[in-house]
This record gives sequence, structure tokens and C-alpha cells, in this order.
Amino acid sequence: MKIVKKIKARLLGENNGNEIKSSGNSYLTSKEIRAISKANAKVMLRLEKYKNRKADESEFLSEMKDPKNILEIEDLNTYFFTDQGVVKAVNGVYFEIPKNATVGIVGESGCGKSVTSMSVMRLLQGPQGQIYSGSIRFRAYDYKRDGHGNPIPTGETAENGAPVYETEEKVYDIAKMPINEIYRIRGKQIAMIFQEPMTSLNPIFTIGEQLDEVTFIHTPGATKEIAKARSMEMLELVGIAAPERVYKAFPHELSGGMRQRVMIAMALSCDPRLIIADEPTTALDVTIQAQILDLLRELKDRIDGSIMLITHDLGVIAEMADYVVVMYAGRVIERGTAREIFHNPLHPYTIGLQMSKPTMDSDSDKLFNIPGNVPNPVNMPNYCYFKERCSRCTAKCSGDYPCMVQVSPTHFVACHLYTEEEKNG
Amino acid sequence: MDNKNNPLLKVEHLRKCFPIKKSITGHVLQELVAVDDISFTLNPGETLGIVGESGCGKTTLGRAILKLHQPTSGKIIFEGEDITNYKSAQMREIRKKMQIIFQDPYSSLPPRSTVGDILSEPVLVHGIVPKDKVKDYVLELMDKCGLRDYYYERYPHEFSGGQRQRICIARALSVNPSLVVCDEPVSALDVSIQAQIINLLKELQQSMNLAYLFISHDLSVVKFISDKIGVMYLGSMVEFGNKKDIFSNPLHPYTQALFSAIPNPNPDVKMKRIALAGDIPSPANPPRGCRFHTRCPYAKEICKYVTPEYKEYESGHFAACHLLDEDKK
Repeated sequence: MKIVKKIKARLLGENNGNEIKSSGNSYLTSKEIRAISKANAKVMLRLEKYKNRKADESEFLSEMKDPKNILEIEDLNTYFFTDQGVVKAVNGVYFEIPKNATVGIVGESGCGKSVTSMSVMRLLQGPQGQIYSGSIRFRAYDYKRDGHGNPIPTGETAENGAPVYETEEKVYDIAKMPINEIYRIRGKQIAMIFQEPMTSLNPIFTIGEQLDEVTFIHTPGATKEIAKARSMEMLELVGIAAPERVYKAFPHELSGGMRQRVMIAMALSCDPRLIIADEPTTALDVTIQAQILDLLRELKDRIDGSIMLITHDLGVIAEMADYVVVMYAGRVIERGTAREIFHNPLHPYTIGLQMSKPTMDSDSDKLFNIPGNVPNPVNMPNYCYFKERCSRCTAKCSGDYPCMVQVSPTHFVACHLYTEEEKNG
Repeated sequence: MDNKNNPLLKVEHLRKCFPIKKSITGHVLQELVAVDDISFTLNPGETLGIVGESGCGKTTLGRAILKLHQPTSGKIIFEGEDITNYKSAQMREIRKKMQIIFQDPYSSLPPRSTVGDILSEPVLVHGIVPKDKVKDYVLELMDKCGLRDYYYERYPHEFSGGQRQRICIARALSVNPSLVVCDEPVSALDVSIQAQIINLLKELQQSMNLAYLFISHDLSVVKFISDKIGVMYLGSMVEFGNKKDIFSNPLHPYTQALFSAIPNPNPDVKMKRIALAGDIPSPANPPRGCRFHTRCPYAKEICKYVTPEYKEYESGHFAACHLLDEDKK
């Protein structure tokens, strides 16, 4: 009986976490592991079938809640089905990205910030990683399509000789899109810049070949000349002094900063409406980081798009972001404008995070630190995940997970300290 | 204070070259000068922070001081002894007094040993306490470093990054050293864990009177923990001084640019950046003259040909830049 309870807590079910007896017995027997993987296989198969289905466009068309937004994520749940149990990497995340805004997502490693971006790009490693539920609505500027899904040409040609197609604005629900339709968005409407510029470029192709490929894939009817012209234009745009030389170079011939510039050029070459930058400067030195951040800020205005900036560096966020989303253990715990988050942080975790970073101005002797570690991602408790590390716990914190409280029109926080205040006031 | 007369560590004109091209006869054709002509002193109980971008030779400097790399030329004087040409057998005694904490806690712990084994091994090898008291000694040490006693039987893979770094710190301190080289000990950790480790290092320094050589690329961390700071660029020290002097009055243009490049966690403060164009030149083929002249916003004609002298401008505040000489004239 005890075994059944222990397994249940690690699977998707109604009373998740309620039945954990003690956290001490963290080792699973092979019998238990087999039972878990069997139960997981069923769910994975269903989700994988849903992902690979053929679907008509009408199935994944949707409507935006607020016309000002370019991306709306609503109650997104992304799970990893492992043999140890279900890891809820993203657990009911809500946030939106307005047009022409930079939204920064901060959190420590393992808090789900990268998995959120991977869900938006549908790059999750299947069959373990799956979007379980929720919706990701994205305002795309896509070709008008005929009955077979092919774009309809207008009959005209552009200056460079490429045919022009009719376009229209559509709202796609990315979470519901079948995986073989995702090319309409991925790389074209939403582009991604990864953390490690060395590992995200292919070492055996020249920069030129890799840049041209983007244009070939996403522009129907592109020729070699069009693609090369476009690539050169992009290399110049990102401030590379000798584009002709870089075009012919292999990735290993370039420095880290240059590679990151090439990655940005690649991301921009289809005029994306949203750029997801996943820790774009973490692998770079401070002086190069400053260059890349300046470049990103300048380009955002030039291409008239939005940026979703993922980082763990609060300094970078303060400098770049208009809105900030703070994540902890798979959940959004606080979000608001950059001013609100930095001048009036409410959640104890946000406050702790800001105080624990040594700054250039401060002269204190001891750093504030948040005690303890992030909880184990398998079988999370159902009370506030931050309870064990929080210094301002109340009796209420042992109850249910706190829901989002709206403090100002743009500022939300998930903490019991503020739910009480609201009731009293 | 008689500390000044007896520095713990004195480094004089230290130079470390790595051969990158050899002829058939073994004659070195081309060298990479990783550390070039570095001198400083470190007193007991002090922290010297070394900052610089990647590839500037800060790790090589730390390793050369511990003699994990044999220096090409120069002198390392540790507690009054010139250890530069000590053989490994002679170094063994010295190793008790100088230890290192590595950057990556995931790869610097042996995966097949328990925490107890990892921590008792140096104690046994150096005979710090009698054999029958080793376990008590290790448990006491673990307590000091914030590790619970039941971790004794566990393996490194069961721990998070922060806990592993605590194990690494405990291992380094198990032989009661007087100098610990910390090679980027917090850069692989999250911000909240980073603060825990930095506080731990500070506490241990006070209780055990340790001297740290703290190598990091994160200026704000270095500022927090150090008493003295050395700024390195392409193998050479461009500025060295007390923390206060360096931060209130940075002399070298590279130091100034480095400070201005750090993002400030306050959205209302828009920083005035000193933009540095381009990348660090390859250390295998460094520019002539002042090594920084290719990126320096104030570079003059003289900087291209003449290497600036490293000298004292204020008391205890050293720098190497031609511009500073001109100001004085």
C-alpha cells in the first residue's frame, strides 16, 4: 500500500503530493521504476500522437486576449516524463509579451525559464518532454494559404527577383500546432539565439552556408544570389567589419563575440517578430557582453520586434527589459514592469535574489543569502515551493499554493503575504 | 603590524610561456606568453582578487604560484622560502600550506569516492592528525563548511552544485593551509548559492586566518571579497592596488572600461559606457607596444611601439600606461 502511494505522488494524478509520507526514502526500487515508466508511456504515447497528427489550419487558429500583445502564454504546463517520476518543469505559467517590448525572464538554473522558451519554439526533446496543457498564442504574419497549405503568389516580383506572396495576420496557438506545421513560425516568425555560440553553429559548414540556409528554407523561390545578398546584409547589420571574410570563414575561426553576432544575424535574417535570446551573453566576457547587449537593443528598434530575454543576471535584465518575469521551480512567482520589480519587489524570493547579488555600489560586509536549495523537481510539495527557504513564512504558507495577486495593473505576485493584505484592505 | 615585513607570498617578475611550435630537435620556435612579468606581494589573512577577461592568464598565474605549472622565469617566495625551483618531493611539505579550489565543482570531485574518503585522504597523506582521530576531525571540518554529518557516507553526484563547492572548500581546508587559490569558485553557481559560498569563504578566512588569491571574471564578486585587486590583460598586470584606490580612482583605461561594462541592477540608471571595440587579440601573437592599444579609446602614437612601464603612481597603486606619464608632465 505504501509503495502504491509513493509512486502515485510521482505521477500525474488528482492529489499530487498529498500522499508523500516522508522525503527521506528517496530511492526507488526497480519494481517501482517499472511501474512509473509504464504509466508514463501511456501519457507520452497520447501526447506524441497528438503532436504528430495532421490537422487543418482552423484547428490551431486562435484569438488574442489583448490586441497589443504579440505572444500570450496561458497556463502552460510542460512536463518531462522520466523514470523517476513526472518533472513539472513548467507548471502553470502565465505571461505575455507586448509588441516592441523586451520581456526579461529571470530565475536560477532549473527554474524552467529555458523550458518555457523551448516550449514556445516546440524544440522539446520528445517523447519525454511534452507540452501537457495550456496555450501559447502568437500573432504571426504569415502567407495566405490555399487548400493544400501552399502560399498564394500575387504574381509580382520583388526588386531582387523573388516572387511576392499574399500575407495576412493570423493568431496561432503554438501548443496545439502539429509539429510538421511549426516551420511556419519557428526560425521565421520567432527566432532564437542560444547561449553557447560555439555549439550552436555547425563546425563543418562555413558561416555563409549556414546563413544562406535560413533564407532558402523560409523564403519560397529564393535563389543563391538572393540568399547571399541577404546574408551579407545581415552580417553588416550586426556590425561585422569584414562581412566578405566572415561569410567564407568557418565557426572556429571566429571569436566568441563574433560567433554570437553571427547567431544574431542568423536569427534576424527572416525579419522575425519575436526574438528569444536564451542567455545570449552568459558565455561571453563583460566587455563583449556590453557590445552584444547594445547591439540587441539597437536591432530591436530597427526590426520593430519584441525580445524575450532569458538570463540569470539581474544586471542584464535591469538594463534591457521593459517587463520582468521572475520564475522559481517552474512557476512564475512575480511579474511586472522592470521599475516595479527592481524598486518595489514583493515576493521574498525576488527580494532575496536582489540582495544576494554583490553590486558595485554597495559596501556591506556580509552578503544576504537565501538559505537552502531549490526543491527536488520530482514530487513537488503542494504548498508554496519557496516555503522552506522563506524568512517571512506565515501559518497560511503550509496551505495551498498561493495564487497570483494583482498589486497594480501590471504587477502580479504569488505569495500569501499579499493575499491577506488584499482581504484586509 | 609586522605583517608588512613578512609577506606570506611574494611573486617577482613571474613569467610562464607555453611552447606552441617545436622543431624536430625540440627547439621551441614559437611561444605563447601566458603570464608576463608579474610581481606582487600578499600578506597573511589578506585577499588578492585577480580580474580579467578569459584568456588573460589569470588561471595560469594561480597555477604557476602553486607550481602546478613550472614557471619559466621569475621567483615565487612563500613564507620566506624561494620555492621556484623546488622538486616535487620538496613541494610536498609546502603543499600543506597552499591549496586550490577549482571552478567546476562537477568535475573536480572523484565520482567513486564518498565525501568522507575525499576529505580524509589529504588528512591521512599529510598526517595532520593521528589516524584514529581522522573521522572526528573530518566531521568537525564538515560542520565548519556547512555540511551535515550524514553526508559523510554519500557520493558527490548526490549533491547540488553549491554543496559540491562546499566539499571542495572543505577538502582544500583539511590540511590547514595558509594560502588558498580560489580559481573562479562561484562562477558555476546560481546567484543565491553564490552568496552562500562567498559568505562561507569570508567566515572561514576570519576564523582560520587564510590568505586568498581570488581569481574571477566577475568584478562585483571580486570587489566584495578582496582587499587588494590586480587587473590583468593579455598576460600582464595592467593595474594593481588596494580595493579602495582601484574602485575610487581607476588609472588604467582598461580598468575603467571594465567597470563601465558591468550592468547595473537598477533600471533607472543608464550607464555611460566606455565602449571597447573588437575582441581580445590572440595571446599567441600579442600586439607590439602597449598590448591594450588596439582597443584603447585613448591610444596615442607612442602606445603602438613602446611597452609602458609598470610603476607605482600612488602608494601601493601600480599601473602600466603611457597616458599617466603624460598627465604628470
